[in-house]
Parts: sequence; C-alpha cells; structure tokens
Amino acid sequence: MRISRSVYLLFITCILVIYYLVAAVYLNNLGYYNHESLFYIEKALIVFDGVGVRLKVMGLTSPMLPFMATFAFTTISYTLAPALASAIGTALLFYVIAVTLIKRPSQDFYLYILLALFLFHPGILYTACSGKGGYLVLIFFFLFFLNLLKFYRSNTTFHVSIASICLVTLIFCDYKFVWLTLFFLPLVLAITIHSLNLGEQESIFRLFLSFNSPSLRRKLVNKTFALYIILFALPLVAVLCYKLLNLTHANDLNYFNESPYATWNVLIDKLSFDQQTTNTNYQIPEVSLLLSARVLLFCPMILIAIYLFRESTYQVLTLLTPFAFIEFLHLKYDKVYLAYEYYMIFVVLAFLCVMFKSQTVKNQRVFKITLAVTMAVQLYAGWYFLKTSPIAEDRNFLAVLTNRTDDKTQADNMDVASYINSLPDDSHILMDDATAYGVVAFVERQKIRTLTMPYQDNFLSGVESPDKAADYIVIATAKNLVTGYTQLNNRYLVSIKRTLPQVIFKKVYETDNWIVYRVVK
Amino acid sequence: MTTMSIPELLVKDGFLTADNREKIERHSAETGLSFIKIALTFGYISRKNYERSMLEAGYEFAQIRDMEYDQAVLDKIDLSFANDHLALPLRAENGKMITLMASPDDELFADFIRFTYDMEPEIIVASDLDIIWLSNKLIGDKYVKSSVFELMKRDPDSSAVLTFSSAQLVFTFVIIGIVAVGLVLSFKNTSIILNVIISTFFLVAIIFKLFLALVGSRFELHQAVTKEELKLVIDDELPIYTILLPVYKEDKLIKKLIWNLQAIDYPRHKLDIKLLIEEDDDKTLNAVRNLDFPAIFEVIVVPFHMPKTKPKACNYGLHFARGKYLTIYDAEDIPDTDQLKKVVSLFGKLPSEFICVQSALNYFNRNENFLTRMFTLEYSYWFDYMLPGLDTLDIPIPLGGTSNHFKLQELIDLGAWDPFNVTEDADLGVRAYAKGHKIAIINSTTYEEANNEPFNWIRQRSRWIKGYMQTYLVHMRNPAELVRKIGWKGFLGFNFFIGATPVIFLVYPLLLTFFICYIIFDLSSIRTLFPDWVLFMSIFNLMVGNILMIYINMMAVFKRRYYELILFAIANPIYWLMHSISAYKGLFQLVTNPFYWEKTNHGLSKVSNPTNVVK
Repeated sequence: MRISRSVYLLFITCILVIYYLVAAVYLNNLGYYNHESLFYIEKALIVFDGVGVRLKVMGLTSPMLPFMATFAFTTISYTLAPALASAIGTALLFYVIAVTLIKRPSQDFYLYILLALFLFHPGILYTACSGKGGYLVLIFFFLFFLNLLKFYRSNTTFHVSIASICLVTLIFCDYKFVWLTLFFLPLVLAITIHSLNLGEQESIFRLFLSFNSPSLRRKLVNKTFALYIILFALPLVAVLCYKLLNLTHANDLNYFNESPYATWNVLIDKLSFDQQTTNTNYQIPEVSLLLSARVLLFCPMILIAIYLFRESTYQVLTLLTPFAFIEFLHLKYDKVYLAYEYYMIFVVLAFLCVMFKSQTVKNQRVFKITLAVTMAVQLYAGWYFLKTSPIAEDRNFLAVLTNRTDDKTQADNMDVASYINSLPDDSHILMDDATAYGVVAFVERQKIRTLTMPYQDNFLSGVESPDKAADYIVIATAKNLVTGYTQLNNRYLVSIKRTLPQVIFKKVYETDNWIVYRVVK
Repeated sequence: MTTMSIPELLVKDGFLTADNREKIERHSAETGLSFIKIALTFGYISRKNYERSMLEAGYEFAQIRDMEYDQAVLDKIDLSFANDHLALPLRAENGKMITLMASPDDELFADFIRFTYDMEPEIIVASDLDIIWLSNKLIGDKYVKSSVFELMKRDPDSSAVLTFSSAQLVFTFVIIGIVAVGLVLSFKNTSIILNVIISTFFLVAIIFKLFLALVGSRFELHQAVTKEELKLVIDDELPIYTILLPVYKEDKLIKKLIWNLQAIDYPRHKLDIKLLIEEDDDKTLNAVRNLDFPAIFEVIVVPFHMPKTKPKACNYGLHFARGKYLTIYDAEDIPDTDQLKKVVSLFGKLPSEFICVQSALNYFNRNENFLTRMFTLEYSYWFDYMLPGLDTLDIPIPLGGTSNHFKLQELIDLGAWDPFNVTEDADLGVRAYAKGHKIAIINSTTYEEANNEPFNWIRQRSRWIKGYMQTYLVHMRNPAELVRKIGWKGFLGFNFFIGATPVIFLVYPLLLTFFICYIIFDLSSIRTLFPDWVLFMSIFNLMVGNILMIYINMMAVFKRRYYELILFAIANPIYWLMHSISAYKGLFQLVTNPFYWEKTNHGLSKVSNPTNVVK
C-alpha cells in the first residue's frame, strides 16, 4: 500500500516532535532554562494557582501568544511547559512549511533540504528546545509572507486579509514586529502601482504615468489607501485595543511592553546594557550597516531568493523589508543585541522564496547543488553565530547542548525555591517577581498561594508593614545583578528597620543572589 | 373594416417585417401561443403601434372591464388558454357568444368557441391588457386560491400561516417565567447568568461569521462557470427560461425594466418573461399600456386575495410558467447579461440534487448616499463571502430576494413559495435543504437599487427581519426533525445564521446602552453584573466582534474593487442600530400583523443604471 504524501508528512512531523521533545526534556533535566521560559512558567503558575488579580496577569503578560501557548502543557509540568510548547510548535512550523511545499509537484529535494534544516540547524534546535516563543514568531512570519506572495500572484482579498491576520498574531508573539508595518508603507504603494492596468512595465514610469492622469491618480490613491486599510487596519486596531486594555487595567498604555511584571525582556535588556557599559572588555553592539551583512553570512540563501524575484521590483522590496526592519530595530533599541530569532526569520523567509520560485529555474541541477551548498553553509553559520553570540543565554544553550553537562545557571534560584517549598503551607512569603520570577518558577504549585507578590492587592501593605502581612521576605543580595531593579533589596531592609524598629528580620536562608528573612514580630 | 388578416395588416403598415411575421408564425406553431400574443409580448411590436394599425383598419377597442359576464360560460374556459390567445368569452347574447379578443382573426379561438358553446362568436376587440386583467380576475380564482393555500394544505408544517406553535409559545413563556422568578430570587446571579449566555452567544456568532467569511473568501477566485464553459453553450439547445417579475406600483421602472431585459443574452423566443401585476395596480398596467416600444414580457394580473404578498404573486405566475428553469427579478434589477446562460451551463454540470442557483446581488447606486454605501458594504459581504461560505460548508442558504434560479418542476414539487412568509426566499432555501435538495452559488451578479431613504430602508429591513423570525419559527417547530433532515452542521448553521441574526440586532442596542451608561455615568452597579471573566468576554465581544465584522465588510468591498467605500465600514455600528430599530419593528409586527408585506418603494434613486454588459 502506498501512503499519501500528506500521511508521509504527518509521519515525519511526528518523528520531529519526538526528536524535539527528547532534546527539550533532556536539556530540561540538565537544568537548562532561560529568562523567557522562566518568566512563562512563573506567570502560568500565577494564572492557574495564584490568588489575586489573575485575569490581569493572564491578559497583560506579554508576548501574549507564546505565553498562552504554554497553558496547554501546564497539566503535564509547569517547568516543562514552555519547552514542550516550543518543541511541538517547531514541529508544527515544519509541517506548515512542508504542507506548502508538497502542494507543488516533484519537490522531494526541497523536502530533504527542509528536513536537514529542521534536524541540524542549531537555530531551529534552539527554537524547539529552549521554551522560547520564537517558534510562533517563525510560524506567523512564514504565513505572513506566504500569504503576501500568494496575494502578489493571485490578487485575492483572501490572501491579503489572511496576511493581515498573521501580522496581528505576529505582533502578539513579539511586539517589535509592529515596526515591520513601517516598511510596508512605501511597499504598498509599489504594489498598487504594479497592479494598475498600464502598458508601461517599468515601476518608476508607471508611477509617473499614474500621477499624471487624474483618473489613474484617483484610482491609485483609492487602491493604495484601501490596501493600507486591509493590511494594517487589523494590526493597528488590535494594538490600540490592547493598549487601551492596558490603560484600563494597569493605568499605563505601554504596561505590557515596559513593565517588568508584564514582560521578561525589559529587565534583561537593561541588564544587558548595564553589563555592556560596565564590562572591562567593552563589546560594541553590532555595527549598523554590518548587521545586514551578518544576516547575509548567516543566511546566504536569501541572496538566491532575491535573485529569483529579481524581475519584480516590488517583490524584491518585499524581501528587503525584513532587512530594513532589523536595521531599524538596531537603531531603535541600540542598547541591546539583536536576538537570534531575528536572524532565524531570514532562514524561513529564504526557504519560502526559494520554494515559491523554484519551478521558474531552468537549470534545476545547478540550482539544487547551489541550494545544498548554501544550506550546508547555513548550518555551519548557525552553529558559529550561536557559539559567538553576544548574548550569554544563546551561548549557554549551545554549551549545554554540546557538553551535555548540568547547567548550573539557575541552581541558585532552585535552591531558594526548594527552601520556600519546605516552609509551612500557612506562611506568607513576600517577594517581588519583577526580579525573582526565576525563583517563583521553581516553587511548587501548591506553595504559590503562600507567596505575596505585586499582582496581589496586599503586596503594597506587605511591603509597608511586613510585620503584619508577611512571615518571610525574599531579598535580593547586593551581588545579585538585578538588585537595583527591585524594591526588596538590602536597602529596603535598612529603610524598613528605620520605620519599624520593633521588627526583627532573621536570616534563615542565603544563597549568592537571595536571602530569605523570617519576620519576627 | 379591412378583410386583411392582422399579420398582413401589420406588415402592410410597416410595423412588422415579413421576416418577423414568419418568425412569429413559426414560434406560434411551436408553442401554441396566438400570433398576436407573440407579437405583443416578444418584442415585435409595441401596443401603441398595434392599436394605431387596428384603428386605421377600422377596428375599435372597447372598454370591457365592467361588461356583464355569465359564470357558466367562464367555467368552460381555462385561464391558460385564454391568456395564450388573449381572448375571453363572456356571455351568450342573441344566439352568439360575446367574445373579447385582442386579435379578431384568431381562428383557433373562434373554433374553440364554436365547439365549446355551439354558437358563433361575436367578437369585441379589446386591448390585450384589459382582456388579461378581466380573464385573470374572472377565472383566476382557483389559481389564486392554489397560490395561497397549496403549501398550507400539502405541507402544513412548512407553512408560516401559523406563526407560533403551541410548543413554542409554552417554551417562550416558561423561559420568561424562569427568568422572572430568577430575577426575583437573586437578581444579581440571574443577571450574570443571562449576561454570560448572551456574551457566549455573541462570541460564537461572531466567530462563526468570521469563519464563514474566511471560508467564503477562500473561493473568491473560483468560478462556478468559466468563460470557456460559457462559450460552449449552444443557443439552439437552450431550454425555455421563465422570468417572473412581481411588481406593485412600479410604473416608473417599467421602461428601465425593458432595457434591462432586452440586454439579456438569451434567445428571445426561449424567454418566458412574466410581469406579475396586482389586480388593483392600474398604475403599472397603464405604464405598460403606454409604452411606445415593444414589450418583451407577458403581463399576468394577479387577482385580489389576501395575503397580498410577493410570494403569492410568484406562485400565481408559476401556474403559467413554461420554462424548464425559472428565476425572479425585481423591476429595477440589472442582471449580468450572461447570467441565464451561465445558470444553464451550471445546472448542466451540477448533480441532480441541486435545484437552485443563487446569483450575487449588489447595487448600482452605491455612491448615492450614506445608506446606499452601507447597503453595498453589507450586500458585498453577504453575497460574496457569507453565502459562498455556507455553500462550501453545506449549510442551508437563505436565498436572496431575487436572482435565484430554480428548476421549475422541482420548485413546484417543493411547494413553491410560502405566501404567508415575508422572506419567502430565505424560507425556501432552508426548506429545499430540509427536503434533501442543494443550492449552488454562481459567479454572476445582479445589480439592484439600494434603498436610499431611511424610512423606506427601515420598512424593508423590518420585513426581512420579521421574515427571518418567521422562517426560524417555522423550521424550529420540531428541532429534532430538523436535525435529522439537515444534520447537526446544518442545524447549528441555521441557528447561528438565521436564528441569531434577529436576536443579535435585538440585543445589540441593550448592550450598547449598558456600555455607554457604564462609560458616561460610571455606574458601578453595572460592574457587579460583570464578574472579571464575563467582563473579559464582553470586552472581547465588543472590541474584537465589532472590529472583525467591520473588517469583513472591508474585505468584501476590497474584493469588489469598491475602494472608495472601504472607510465607510467603520460606520457599521451606526448602521447596525438601524437594523435594531427594524428588528424591534419586525418583532412587533410578527406578533400583531405577521403576514403584512412592508412594501419597499423602488425607483427613488437618481442614479442612472447602465446595463451591466459582461465583456
């Protein structure tokens, strides 16, 4: 019996799921975690087991979709949930790409290339096993561009509206993608000019013609505007609504993006900047123009993609928008390094474009050899970029993956958490999860109720008068890198002793980064 | 008086060419219609010219409406025969049968008189329209009774003559009772439960509509009939096509109607176009009489009988339809010129269970004012996305008011239109599904006149919403039976599409008032009715629901390339309020006057409507 291609594909996807799951669980057992996954674990614990304004935590934790995607796996294990979500999500990414691929005839070669990418590319492994939300970014980025390219081909409203919906979801996977819309503004004009029914083929002359004829000008303006609306109305309104939701629930339009209680990277970005500026071996963030060059080194296949689309100016411009986007990110967020996931979008985009245009290439043999070589280069570049990444977390992943030794990065947090787990069930422990989410993530679910954290109304009164509201306080030590970003640090102890001299804080547990005090009333 | 035959006379006077005379005679031999009937109703000669020719030849046209008649004489003649020959025997007088004839030389009819009544006819020449009026009035009784009561007798469960069944009334009052008791016992908790039910209902309805729109838009490139397939259609093999044109006081539109019908790309002699005029509608009848160019339709006068509704008129016209296929257009409709051929081609391709094809409807006067713009947005989304979505998911399609093309025999078997239902089209769509038939959607558009006047709009919409309520009540008399007939998918689709529509419009202003009170007056007591997660759901509905529905509207006009309308989609919340007004009016009428047909005035648009030639 011959099995159909789609069943075959499902089978491969299942194998990939197992492959990623094994890797993710193995790394998890070695103790590998990162800030993003810890943040999701902690917030999921609050949502399902906390006491307080849980709806606010659920609605305003950002990025929303990767966070919510972990919910499905919390029944298995909180600490594993992000990794499970990313493992299955990355396999889903493979399936989405491969399904698009097998709709075209005789594409086995491209399927092998894709499989090689998903099996060996360290960036994909990083996406799959780290518990980060990058897999959702890649899925929706792929779908966004896929639908855009389909729109170019068929001029159908369906595809442009699906692209718009994908853009919305992309923004809710990573808010920074909202800036991608900026580079689509001129692009939409180019698309409209192309779609006008004119004899002239050259874009610039088409523009000239359409601007100089009143009827064409009206048509151009109407159509451009309509396309803007169809493409950007949903993302912009969705963001606006989300911001209003933040305003009504947190009194801050940008709470989701700027509060360390709502998103993980606020603190990490600040930390990264502090480290950069205070390090003795000062590292310069990527030089602006060289960033695109780095992308080309990381993903040379994008050059082939651009070559394949060379005949259509606006389509080439479409492929160049992600370059403009990352350059913009680099200028706007000049104090942080560009995360690895932004490099990965080019890998996905390049493969999409090559897949989309592969049938137009006459000399398939040379083309396939070139692709195979570039894929090999990309696999190597993936390892190299991860190994030399300026972001410590990225390097740590590779180190754990290649050395397969226990990761001690979170040992300190785990120790404090296990101490908290050993405390009586009716104790009240005051801690600030803006910085201590890494500790909370390892607290047992039934102990979450013993914690008093900022999402709860009684946190402030607990901070003001710990003698009444808390039995224990978790304080960041002076050595703790994030000590400056929390109220509960050693300066707090000094000030509270001044206002409440009768209260005695007894040190009951101490690690390098945290001290647990018992409040003696 | 001349001894020439009427055809000779018309040729002599130059109103008819010899070639056309031959064509008419051939057509007459094929169909059994009289020469004059074909000449006057297939676009060969105008009534004015015919009258002129006859007067010059010495004939006089008598005023016949008040003439005496003998019922025993009338009982012996069939209305179809009288209509086909434009003649009617009235009474015996002086050993002769007084016979009204539009053409005095119709020997076949004269022979009929001789054989049937055994006397010579005494011919009175009269206008064909007057003869039609009188014959339908005098001998159309059994047809009109059949038009009104046929469905009720044959299939009482499908008739809306009974608005609420006993079980429905009991159910409604039990629910009201439970809610009332709940409110008395625990106002807060009952309100929260109601709130949750309404919010959940809204949420599901919104998601369902978005899903439908996406499914529908997925097939926007799909062409049910391609240009190539259309080229394969051979004119000689085309079947007779009946077009019913129910009109009431549409005298201003008759000229436009002729132009639009003449543009249809279909062999003229294979068209069976019937203008259905109500007995008391002299305005329209006179407009037809005064046409100074040839008409291409046959007039049928619908005798007075309550309820005075469009479906009753259509049922009446159905008795005289000769086509294999049948469609309905409104007087102001401009169908794509190739629509009928496309339908024939599509029926040829589809399996036999497809008995109806629905064309898309849109508006030619879309840029006239705010209302016409909003109407265009709505129709674009309804016919381009919603109906194809329903079609793809195999969910009952509520047919649009016009441009639905039927297989005639299957339509009759189905019981035709329900004269007691004011959206007979939507009802028929669901009934067809329930009886195991299917409906297809075709890539052809009919352009109508959008209502440009708010009160007229509300009248029309209140009828539509009332009709949806009627249709829902009729088919939900036995929900278990409905599930058995159309399956769970169809049942849920029916509930969320036909059932939900009036409910949403009824509830919408209440929720909006809640919201506005909450925002403006900051009524904290309202907050108690919205616990956290209900509030979350309600805000989601309010924001996401509104945005998505607006967006779907935008998509639809984008697809139609009506770019200038795209921003008007934002005004939808205001437009929906107008729906709500209509919904309350419709609900009121459902209780007080369920069969009343709110007449929509047409011909108000000042926009000229160029014929919609398909290139």
